[in-house]
Formats: sequence, C-alpha cells, structure tokens
Amino acid sequence: MVAIIFGVSFHEQKLVKKALESFYGLGPQTSARILAKHCIHPRTKIGSLPPKTITALTAELSTMTIENDARRLVQENIKRLRDMGTYRGRRHAMGLPVRGQRTKNQIETAKKLNRVERIA
Amino acid sequence: MQPTRCLLKRSVWKGPHIVPLPIVRPEPGKKVPPIRTQARSATILPNFVGLKFQIHNGKVYHEVTITEEMVGHKLGEFSPTRKPFIWNKA
Repeated sequence: MVAIIFGVSFHEQKLVKKALESFYGLGPQTSARILAKHCIHPRTKIGSLPPKTITALTAELSTMTIENDARRLVQENIKRLRDMGTYRGRRHAMGLPVRGQRTKNQIETAKKLNRVERIA
Repeated sequence: MQPTRCLLKRSVWKGPHIVPLPIVRPEPGKKVPPIRTQARSATILPNFVGLKFQIHNGKVYHEVTITEEMVGHKLGEFSPTRKPFIWNKA
C-alpha cells in the first residue's frame, strides 16, 4: 500500500511528518505547521490519511518553494555573491569555509558543499 | 534584497554603519576620481551606486565600482585581504 504526495510515493507505515520533511526546503517547523493546518495528529501515519487530505497536502506543497525551487534559490544567492566579487562568494568558489572558520583541520563539510553550483 | 538578513547583523536602533566619505556628485562632462578609503566597515548605501571606490586591503587599494546589488554589504567585502597559499617547489 503506497500513498503518493507531491509526486513521491511513501509507504503507509511512514509518519506524515517525516514524509513531509523528506522534501528539500521543508523542515520540522514548517511540517508541524502544515500538520496543524490540516488537523493531522503529529504521530499519524500515511496509511490512515483519507485521500482527500492527501490531495490537500499535495495542493499545499505545490504552492511552496521546495525541492528544485529551493535548491535554485540557494544557488542563485551564492551566484549573486560570486558575481558581485564578495569575499563570501570567493570562499564558495574555492570550496573553503565562508564564515571565518579555521582551515587547518576539519573543513570536510565546506569542501563537500561550498561551491558556486551547490548541489545539496 | 533581504532586509531580514541585514537586520540580523546589527541592532535596528543603530541603523547602518555610516562613515563620512568624501562623496562628490559627478557634474556632467567631468570625470570624478575614485574615492580612496580605508573604511572597510562602512555600509554601502544606495547613494553610492555607480561611484568608484578604492578600498584598502591593508596593503594596496582595490578599485571597485558599486552596483545596485551591493547595497547593504560592507566595502571591505569587495577587497580581499588574504593571498591564496600556493606551494612553491623552487
């Protein structure tokens, strides 16, 4: 038994809150707010949702900036910094920490994430 | 731009960090020399747009033309202070 929310299929044993949080750009706070708006208990599982609520959730999600829209927003912000020639943009382009952290050790996260065309 | 981000940096009651800079309005047909300054912490205000600044980085003055999207940033962000480390074998 599978339910489809916003084009993604979820198992019926998955919590609705966790299913919502699996979208990029939608965190604990927003998901809690969506649940409250649609009168869903925080520990509800996908299987016990009526189909009407699922379509309502999909409609709600389609109005938000999540997934690729949110990713593009982050990329645009970084690209704007880079095009302006700011220090932060340069650090992104070099793959180094942006906010004045030390670079002697432990910059794996920056190496992984900081770039002009940010993936995650 | 993002007003919230600008507000998070600094108390609202202080307002932007304004430094008295010798800004001259360009008269038509006249060339204005770039404004040489060491005030890296000065916030870029909307009336700076289109002006040329020479911003000190501790050693030299980097020339920067202010565009509209730079408003709200600091002058020092556009003048890098560090030299990238390059391994010289020789």
